[in-house]
Amino acid sequence: MNNRNDENLKELFERFVGADEAQSAVEDFAAAQRILSEHPVPGPDKELIAAIKSEIAETVRRSKERAFRRMAYKLVPVAAVFIVLAVVSIKMFVGNGGPETITYASITPMPASVWVSDDVAADDFELAVLTAQIDELEGQVLTLELGEDSGNGRSAVTELEVELVAINSDFW
Amino acid sequence: MTNSDDLALIIDGCKAGSGESFSRLVDIYASRLYGYFYRLTGNRELSDELLSELFVKLVVKIGSYKGGAFESWLFKIATNIFHDYLRSKQRRKKLLEVRKKELKSKIIEPKRSESDRIDKLQIQIKKLNADTRELIMLRFYSQLSLKEMAEMRGEPMGTTMSKLHRGLKRLRELME
Repeated sequence: MNNRNDENLKELFERFVGADEAQSAVEDFAAAQRILSEHPVPGPDKELIAAIKSEIAETVRRSKERAFRRMAYKLVPVAAVFIVLAVVSIKMFVGNGGPETITYASITPMPASVWVSDDVAADDFELAVLTAQIDELEGQVLTLELGEDSGNGRSAVTELEVELVAINSDFW
Repeated sequence: MTNSDDLALIIDGCKAGSGESFSRLVDIYASRLYGYFYRLTGNRELSDELLSELFVKLVVKIGSYKGGAFESWLFKIATNIFHDYLRSKQRRKKLLEVRKKELKSKIIEPKRSESDRIDKLQIQIKKLNADTRELIMLRFYSQLSLKEMAEMRGEPMGTTMSKLHRGLKRLRELME
């Protein structure tokens, strides 16, 4: 640190004025210094120093509070964005049925309703076709049994029964 | 006297918001700064006020201290506070009121004491022009080098030295 005690006044003054004037300046400096030292100023009261320290402590405390609030004001929006994103993500995830539901639904070969349904034919188009064919054959059998067939009735019935057995075997 | 390393640690503490470090700065500089204000204003109450203002401002401004001569930085703030005070009409009015009170108290209590010696110098100092008075007090209380004073005042070193020499010579004549 540059302290005036380290200064060589004579040398400094000699840069600007002659040696005699520089010497005179040094003497004036020393005399003024002596006069000021002989006339000390009253020091600050202890009460004043205590009050200043107390005020500083209060200012430091307020300053720290302000700094904390500033930091909080910066962090709160960021935290809020994270929370909103997290909530939205969870809602979207749950809205899609969640991982278990999705997996369960995708690997199930047939809706559960089919297994509990009494009307199997209504749940499957092929079953419906087969059921219609069986119904038709049953109708023909009934016609023959009632003697409504004009041709070779006995053999026709046998043929129909064979056909029914075949359809039944194909299906199952 | 606090050495540079100790002072650097104290300043670091202040920057970190340590009340203890600020208290140490008060202990180190309060007397010199008070003397500076007192010699410029000649009034104790005002010096009290300016000193308090300075240290509170210091808490706010310490973050802007980027190294270099701390005394130079500190006394620059002190000088600015004093200039602010001079600009303040309200404070001038207050000063007049305080001086009136002082005058009354002197009439009531005319005892001679140490303060009379102090006042003799104070009276002579007032005969100097404001800039010279400020320069002398800065030299005496800040303990800055002439180079630092010139830098702080934003003028060539030769100019500062010349003004200071003239002022000190005049003060010497007045006092002797």
